[in-house]
Amino acid sequence: MDEPRLAARAQAGDRTAFGELVERYADQARRVARAVLQDPDDADDAAQDAFLAALVKLKQYDAARPFGPWLMRIVANAATDRRRRRTVRRAEMLDEGHIGGGPQPDAIAERAVLLGRLRKALAELPERRRLAVVLFDVEGYAHAEIAEILGMPEGTVRSEVFHARRHLRTLLADWRDQP
Amino acid sequence: MKDSMTPFDSRPDPVLGAALRDALAPGDSAAFVARVLVAANRPAAPLDVLAGWSRLGIAAAVLVALFAGMAVGRDTGAEDAETTSQDVVIMAGAEAPAAITLLASFPER
Repeated sequence: MDEPRLAARAQAGDRTAFGELVERYADQARRVARAVLQDPDDADDAAQDAFLAALVKLKQYDAARPFGPWLMRIVANAATDRRRRRTVRRAEMLDEGHIGGGPQPDAIAERAVLLGRLRKALAELPERRRLAVVLFDVEGYAHAEIAEILGMPEGTVRSEVFHARRHLRTLLADWRDQP
Repeated sequence: MKDSMTPFDSRPDPVLGAALRDALAPGDSAAFVARVLVAANRPAAPLDVLAGWSRLGIAAAVLVALFAGMAVGRDTGAEDAETTSQDVVIMAGAEAPAAITLLASFPER
């Protein structure tokens, strides 16, 4: 079933249709929330908050427009709210001992190191920049949709994606060039 | 990561995207969906219901206070009362600070 019909049924109180929407967007919502919060458990809590908020606000959703950007705006706001409320930062800390060389036992370990470095590099970016690059390069949203999600001009989104990519690509290139 | 990409390329970068996707990979998806649906189907707790009413209650209380204030103001004829700086000096008597006395010496507008 297409999303406008699913959303319309969910708006009418059909919990099965709502469940279908949750299934479709669960992973995306959790990744976007994690881009803000870093900690996977916090991200899941924020994503859940966002789905419950979306359920309450479904009557405000315009079925003529795509569902994804509308939901991702709620997810980004829920994650930002949770980040503001969080008093103790529990961001996943990278084992610094693995950075910058040392013996790499196999490809899996190398990949784990790269992912750790990527998470650390992402965490160093300003929040809006993190969200912009994740929404663009991971989730495949267009610049205009991201502008709608983040409530910023499209030109700013392009700039944020550019700066984030430059930062992250340097890291990836360094990793690829390693012997 | 495509070497031919320009900084403002409007196409997603598949290599960077895949690496980020792995870096942000969530855990068990089915468990998360189940958790959300359980929370969505849970009946609202009494405190949640009260919280839902609280906005309405606050709005009603503000309206009541507003109308009560208007009614009291009309009954006392507060709009007729006028206090000049001379009245203040007279009421304060001999203990009026110099600043008020000085103020009273300026003509009223």
